Amino acid sequence: MTKIIGIDLGTSNSAAAVMMGGKPTLIPAAEGTTVGGKAFPSVVAFTKDGQLLVGEPARRQAVTNPTGTIVAAKRKMGSDYIFKINDKEYKPQQISAFILQKIKRDAEAFVGEKIEKAVITVPAYFDDNQRQATKDAGQIAGLEVVRIINEPTAASLAFGLDKAKQDMKILVFDLGGGTLDVTIMEMGGGVFEVMSTSGDTQLGGTDMDKIIIDYIIDAFRKSTGIDLSKDNAAMVRVREAAERAKIELSSVMETDINLPFVSYDQTTGPKNLEMKLTRSKLEDLINPIVERCKPSMTKALEDAKLSPSDITKIVLVGGPTRIPMVKKFVASVLGKEPESGVDPMEAVALGAGIQAGIIAGDVTSDIVLLDVTPLTLGVEVLGGLREPLIERNTTIPTSKSKVFTTAADNQTAVTVHIVQGERPMATDNVSLGSFNLSGIPPAPRGIPQIEVKFDLDANGILNVVAKDLGTQKEATITITASTKLSKEEIEKLKKDAEVYADQDKKKKEEIEIKNEAENFIYATEKLINQDLKDKVTQEQGIKVTNAIKDLKDVLDKGSAEIKPKLDTLKTIVNEISTELYKKTSPPPGSGSSGTGPQGATGDESAGQNAAGAQ
Amino acid sequence: MSEENNEEMEVEIEDVSDNGSQEKIIDELKTQLKQEQEKTASYEKKLQYLLADFENLKKRTELDIQNRVNSALDSMMLKFLSIYDDFVRAKDVLTKQKINTDGLSAILKNMDLFLSENDVTPIEALGEIFNPQLHEAISVKEDSSLDDNTITAEIRKGYILQNRVIRPSLVEISKKT
Repeated sequence: MTKIIGIDLGTSNSAAAVMMGGKPTLIPAAEGTTVGGKAFPSVVAFTKDGQLLVGEPARRQAVTNPTGTIVAAKRKMGSDYIFKINDKEYKPQQISAFILQKIKRDAEAFVGEKIEKAVITVPAYFDDNQRQATKDAGQIAGLEVVRIINEPTAASLAFGLDKAKQDMKILVFDLGGGTLDVTIMEMGGGVFEVMSTSGDTQLGGTDMDKIIIDYIIDAFRKSTGIDLSKDNAAMVRVREAAERAKIELSSVMETDINLPFVSYDQTTGPKNLEMKLTRSKLEDLINPIVERCKPSMTKALEDAKLSPSDITKIVLVGGPTRIPMVKKFVASVLGKEPESGVDPMEAVALGAGIQAGIIAGDVTSDIVLLDVTPLTLGVEVLGGLREPLIERNTTIPTSKSKVFTTAADNQTAVTVHIVQGERPMATDNVSLGSFNLSGIPPAPRGIPQIEVKFDLDANGILNVVAKDLGTQKEATITITASTKLSKEEIEKLKKDAEVYADQDKKKKEEIEIKNEAENFIYATEKLINQDLKDKVTQEQGIKVTNAIKDLKDVLDKGSAEIKPKLDTLKTIVNEISTELYKKTSPPPGSGSSGTGPQGATGDESAGQNAAGAQ
Repeated sequence: MSEENNEEMEVEIEDVSDNGSQEKIIDELKTQLKQEQEKTASYEKKLQYLLADFENLKKRTELDIQNRVNSALDSMMLKFLSIYDDFVRAKDVLTKQKINTDGLSAILKNMDLFLSENDVTPIEALGEIFNPQLHEAISVKEDSSLDDNTITAEIRKGYILQNRVIRPSLVEISKKT
């Protein structure tokens, strides 16, 4: 089973992805991450001394070697055009092959095995010649091109649109650095069919950058009279600052552009560039470019004989579509929000990777198909709270256990109630079943140790065993339906958990404080009446008894009333024990008997099991 | 499934009386054995794949962590370098204005130390022959007195962190007329 990679062979940038553990993963370019992320510029160069450069190094030397540097070879694919360099002739597919070879090398380094097959994406409007040329390029690079797929189809795959049950009309809006491609497709049963394509080869993010840069330079000239555009060093900084501001303004409303000592005037001294750029100003600036996208969208709709309302899904591709205004614009033209969740810069490569994975069998292979449990499995404990054992999204098979104890003195049986869901109160979750473990030897509360073990096998069958660690007595239940909830039911349970999160949290805290108070009362009573019977003065005894009574009176009145009374009791008990420690050096009531006044709640190993059947 | 099989076998073992059915049983058992062997083989294969996947995942995870650490370090160093550049500019300007820069020099010295402690080294540029792995050319100057591709001006200093070029030098290079 060899890996197949998916390649986004772009006009200005290229990237590739491969399935890793069931997920498409972008293959990083060997030269490291650059402005373009993990993608690299689709530039090929031949230096005078006969070196071949591909990607970032080729771009870096472009101005020094304009005749030996080739950009946008993709635009010539399928034509008879010949690149003549250093007395040698290259067909466009040969140039593309150099880019593909680099991708192959990077992929082999990343995956750690030989790569021999690839899926390559092409624009939807590519004709047979252009597609064949792309295939040839792959072959020259030593890659068997197992499939050529359309870029918009790949993007749709990345967003998982092929899995939709209903038929859809998808509009893919691909705004890159220098081109706009609008494609409308029809999808039915996972098959995509292009209905129309339209676009503008002279429109893209580069135009936006230029407008922002010009605006900064203009503003500086107005305030200082200095023209930065003649100054290479200053322009490098302005360009970077513009790029940064553009990215920042996608998430904030205002950003500072701050370039100290950007210029020097012989008479007036150093000049700093300091300005604020707001999102609305940026939107004013780029609005004319964004508006220029409209005719292509209208044309694509007309050619497909559709109205905007016929479009079911919108997919955005390309860096500039990250700008909120571009998103808003597309949404307003079509009256619908675009899909989200995948980086528009990576969507095509990731989609190609998914397609490659499907062909290689990586996606459907049962080897990698490990299930996860969609909801948390737990048991009900004291006060009706739910104690989680197996958290949701745990990969199965899995097994977890926790030790619980009794809630009352001389309790001889416990009920283990198994629930499924995300809510902290047991009753708000789905009950999967319950069983009793009886025959626990009578003992004070908190002493018996009952281990509850959840064993969830690969088929989702849950086996629960409760075991009294003292007597080794066991009781068990097998629940076969633990993962058989429908998708809708699971989603509802998750949603409920979100909706009621605050309310549930309060309820849980209420019960926890009540549990803590009850435990503290129990422990204190035991301390005063048994362990320290002869060591406590009468006065102290009365004080404690009164405080306990006060606390007992408010136990059902909510945390606001319980808390101060509990604190009072704690303080009194602390005073007593501090005094005792002063009198006798060895700590009283030490050992594992759990008689310390510290409440047991909150401690996993001592969490109290609830509804104990006596 | 195994329970079902057991039941079947029990039923058949009850009437072992004639030879014909005995052979039939043996045949069936053989088939069953073959099926089980095939199953075992396929499980073994799956297990091997899983183990391999797991080993690969471990290696991949280590690499991922390293890459993430590197990329976070790179981006932080780049931000620091841009502030460092501002200090260098400030010093240049103040020197031009004949203002004492001793304090600034001391700050820069500390910054240099910080950079070298963190394995950040400046890329040599001025007078060197242009190398696209390290340098980025942004302009060309005609000059017959120099070899082609000699760096004649450094517009922004480049840096290497460990062995990664985190910022190529921006340079002007020469071309013979």
